[in-house]
Amino acid sequence: MDGQVARPPRRSFIYRELEAAGARFVAVGDAEVAAHYAGDDETQALSSLGIADLSPLPRTGFKGDGAVDWLAAQGIAIGEASNHAVRQADGALAAKLAPGEVLVLDGLGEGEAICARLDAAWTPVASAFWPVPRRDGAFWFLVTGEHAATMFAKVCGVDLRPDKFSNHAVAQTSVARTNAIVVRDDLGAVPAFHLLGDSASARYMWHCLADAAREFGGRPVGLEAVRSLIR
Amino acid sequence: MRAGRLPEPFGRFVDRAEAQTFTFEGRAHPALAGDTVASALMAAGVTTLSRSFKYHRRRGVLTMAGQDANTLVQLADEPNALADVVPVSEGLAVGGQNYSGSLGNDRAALLERLAPFMPVGFYYKAFYKPKGAWKLWEGVVRRLTGLGRVNAEAPHGYYDKMYLFCDVAVVGGGPAGLSAAIEAAAAGAEVMLFDDQPAPGGALNYARFDAAGERAGRVRDELVRAAKNHPRLKVYTGAVAEALYEDNWLAVVHGNRLYKVRAHTVVVAAGAFEQPMVFRNNDLPGIMLGSAAQRLMRLYAVAPGRRAVVATANDHGYGVALDLLDAGIEVAAVADLRPDPPSSEMKDAALARGLRVVAGHTVFEGLGKKRVAGVRMAEITGQGECRGASFTVDCDLVCVSVGYAPTAALLCHAGAKLAYDEATATLRPDRIPPGMHVAGAVGGAHDLDAVIAEGRFAGWAAAAAGGFDGRAEPKFPNGRGDVGVNHPWPIFPHPKGKEFVDFDEDLVVADIENAVADGFEEIELLKRYSTSGMGPSQGRQSALATVRLAARARGRPPAEMGTTTVRPPALPETFGVLAGRSFNPERLTPAHHRHVEAGARMMVAGLWWRPAFYGPPERRDECIVEEATAVRANVAIIDVSTLGGIEVRGADAAEFMNRMYTFAYKKQQVGRGRYALMTDPSGAIVDDGVACRFAEDHYYVTATTGGADGVYQNMLWYNAQWRLAVDISNVTAAWCGVNIAGPKSRHVLSRITRDVDLSAEAFPYMGVRHGTVAGIPVRLLRVGFVGELGYEIHAPAAFGEVLWDALVEAGREAGIRPFGVEAQRLLRLEKGHIIIGQDTDGLTHPHEAEMGWAVSGKKPFFVGKRAIEIQTARPITRRLVGFALANGSGPLPEECHLTVRAGEIVGRVTSVVRSPALGRVIGLAYVAPDQAEVGSTFHIKGPGGRLIAAEVVPVPFYDPDNQRQEL
Repeated sequence: MDGQVARPPRRSFIYRELEAAGARFVAVGDAEVAAHYAGDDETQALSSLGIADLSPLPRTGFKGDGAVDWLAAQGIAIGEASNHAVRQADGALAAKLAPGEVLVLDGLGEGEAICARLDAAWTPVASAFWPVPRRDGAFWFLVTGEHAATMFAKVCGVDLRPDKFSNHAVAQTSVARTNAIVVRDDLGAVPAFHLLGDSASARYMWHCLADAAREFGGRPVGLEAVRSLIR
Repeated sequence: MRAGRLPEPFGRFVDRAEAQTFTFEGRAHPALAGDTVASALMAAGVTTLSRSFKYHRRRGVLTMAGQDANTLVQLADEPNALADVVPVSEGLAVGGQNYSGSLGNDRAALLERLAPFMPVGFYYKAFYKPKGAWKLWEGVVRRLTGLGRVNAEAPHGYYDKMYLFCDVAVVGGGPAGLSAAIEAAAAGAEVMLFDDQPAPGGALNYARFDAAGERAGRVRDELVRAAKNHPRLKVYTGAVAEALYEDNWLAVVHGNRLYKVRAHTVVVAAGAFEQPMVFRNNDLPGIMLGSAAQRLMRLYAVAPGRRAVVATANDHGYGVALDLLDAGIEVAAVADLRPDPPSSEMKDAALARGLRVVAGHTVFEGLGKKRVAGVRMAEITGQGECRGASFTVDCDLVCVSVGYAPTAALLCHAGAKLAYDEATATLRPDRIPPGMHVAGAVGGAHDLDAVIAEGRFAGWAAAAAGGFDGRAEPKFPNGRGDVGVNHPWPIFPHPKGKEFVDFDEDLVVADIENAVADGFEEIELLKRYSTSGMGPSQGRQSALATVRLAARARGRPPAEMGTTTVRPPALPETFGVLAGRSFNPERLTPAHHRHVEAGARMMVAGLWWRPAFYGPPERRDECIVEEATAVRANVAIIDVSTLGGIEVRGADAAEFMNRMYTFAYKKQQVGRGRYALMTDPSGAIVDDGVACRFAEDHYYVTATTGGADGVYQNMLWYNAQWRLAVDISNVTAAWCGVNIAGPKSRHVLSRITRDVDLSAEAFPYMGVRHGTVAGIPVRLLRVGFVGELGYEIHAPAAFGEVLWDALVEAGREAGIRPFGVEAQRLLRLEKGHIIIGQDTDGLTHPHEAEMGWAVSGKKPFFVGKRAIEIQTARPITRRLVGFALANGSGPLPEECHLTVRAGEIVGRVTSVVRSPALGRVIGLAYVAPDQAEVGSTFHIKGPGGRLIAAEVVPVPFYDPDNQRQEL
């Protein structure tokens, strides 16, 4: 064994739970992602209530004075208002969490690996802003479907109904008593919410969501089904 | 007797096509779908539903609205269920409760004969003398108290909670609530209406609002249709609004779900509950509120009796009499408490149907044993006085309609006060808080037109408050129908007593009067002394009468008495709702499953799960020793991912560290770690860790597992004031950590690390490095909490399990094994390292804990510096010392056992363990300063109070020159 061995692929914080649910994994870049599940058609669940684990996929964050300007110089479109996300040309999403803090989620399609480019571009020299390790510090779930907002009402005190929480709105709030970021990001006509929270609490949150989703027939969905709505 | 079912249109809630069977006290009874247990029992002729709490008197239907304790019954898995609320289901088994023998023949009813010896407040005076008597009485009292049986084997139900959001929340589905909801929705607001009944309509479902008995149904159908058809209005039935908290947080229980309703404005249109009349034997089964009889008939098609007497002081009683007549029930007499009752549509209609009305009379006494068999009526000669002629009337039903009290609990939760209003002789909600609106009977209105108009106005106002102000203001009614509904004194003491004021607690008129005579005049004290209003129905049927009686006893008007505080919940709720599906976050380290697979016994550490030790519980002690021995003699790994990780980055990072921690950091070299001790402004130790300087402007600071979040918040709080150029990020979950320790740790780690020189010269103790381990980018910290050569490896969390696996594989040949928190505690104690929170308390300052070496005296400032200087200038009062037991063979002292001298407490043991490396018992303890010299002895008050001698010894106990960790 030596120090030159290849870096192992990133697996989900809850890959065991996903395996138990019948997940089949595929390699996506440097990660292994639950692509689909054994059983029924997942596109139906996507429209009704589906929960996808995107935790292995790239995401990053920057915070501090100058972060927004630097990201803009890197070609990232960022809105004026905090708690609002902007879709990037390649499908990525840049959510402004505060005047000096931005969360970037890679697109779910096969677009540019924008987070990797940003992480590589950042240098500590004379920087007044800093990267935030969102990929390791936070799980990333996507909750989709017409029942998503109602299901969230069982775990979150923010009104996420479509007419109250607009597309690309961001809520930094508490979900099931843990700190979380919720970003609405509809998949075409299907309501969808990114949910990011403490990675050490990933299994806890996965079970909370599964419990909350049960009465609506909610179930896990894979990346392939999600991508089918983007294409 | 069997009352049977009435023909349609009676029985609005039942489905005659669906018959069911249930049992009560082991006997089968028929029922209809939609029945409650109480309605079905009444239909079956069963009138005794329960036994009273104190005297075990028979009790039957009183309100038929879930508002009283008379209908408390036992279900298989639930005690104290309300029989007039619980729906019958096929095969449901129901029993009585609080009896000895059988419900019909309760031996405990003999207690009533002792009533003269159990006056109000007797339990405050009895049982305690002579000294020690309580020990004898306690068992007796405990057997007699309590209601129902808890089934500990009951299956767990599924309970959960959900938020609801709306512009206007309306509580109450009667004419006022429906009107308010419709008006608010019409204005554009999103409206939710909550009603506790199976169907909306409120009193329109059962009460009579005109002589012909037609109007209620017509109005109800119109309102319900309009409500159900409105797209912005959602009606929840069977939904009990239990509480109203700040910012219009409305708690609504709906089945097994608690709705947490967040509304911009709230309309309370919860109505009013009818009040009993106080007379001798007014609790006999068959004596009920007029509205209860109407509910039985109109909602459940149950005839509550065959021959009735109605006692009233308002038009509503005549409506009851007309309903009884419509149901084919004979009305023997109407006792109208008013000496000269005015003409009205309802009264005139009753007279036209030949009713015998006896004005200026009251029911003075109920007659009968198992249920009412007749009443003695008497002429009223003064306030509560009946000194004139009396006569008896045979009957099996007495309906009482003498007034109402508002269902104002939610208003009171929000801050409103109830005040007695002389003009209407009732309690009225006063000082309604902003954001709330009141409509209908809860505010005293009883005229149907006025109730509807008030509802519309409240709905309009509530919507307008939320910005939906496009509609014209509805006209507010002039008349409200609020005067002449409540009789000012429907209380008739009897020379022989048994006129019940509070049914729950079997309190009679004399009890209230005696409580006042005993000096408990203020209403809150009176309540606690007499227990009036402290039973399951929380004074809904007793508060008004108690206020009146207490006022008279004090010679003051009722308006000056005030009322007791009303607290949530408004109605009884189950423990399932209270406790069900609370969120209990838990955190797992990335290698969690590897620990479980390796046989770890997991323990809770804050929100985290950590391995306590690896092995079966029965081998706990051996496993811990084996793990500790592996660290001392070979190599072992422990998951330290739970340690806090905080990035401090920016131009002022060193200055920030210098202010937050007691040590000096400005001259700390890049690539070095330094112990970090944090104190609060009072100088007390609050956390510790290691500050790793990876760049001039970058520190990576570890914190204790339980203290990490607090440290992070502390840092943010201080820098919000200091405004230093520094960024603070809590990256605890982003980085996993594994500590590899033991003489062979360098060898094992070197097998999977090529880009970091691990030699002692290149990577000395307290060095920190970046590198890769098994291809994973890591931060390496050469620290030694357990006192052996070791490295903490911090890696991105996603690689935590892979890193653990790689270390296990790399160390397989060397015999590597995992060790848990228990072994780590043992090992660190051998080194004399303290654990914050265990070896310190909320007052420990560094010099007491022999941590003065970690405090810089040269810095101009750090949090706690001034306090520590003051404490240092004073004589120290205790010291934390290492100790060893001269005799380690006896019972060991435990943590928190006291250190004593001449019977006085001087400190406590904070840590103690039998050290396998040293072969003796060692520990840390606080002792008096003059006991702290090495070689001194002190005493520990051990198990059973036995004094154990301990000797102060040098710390560290193990490897005092620290040679092993600096290899």
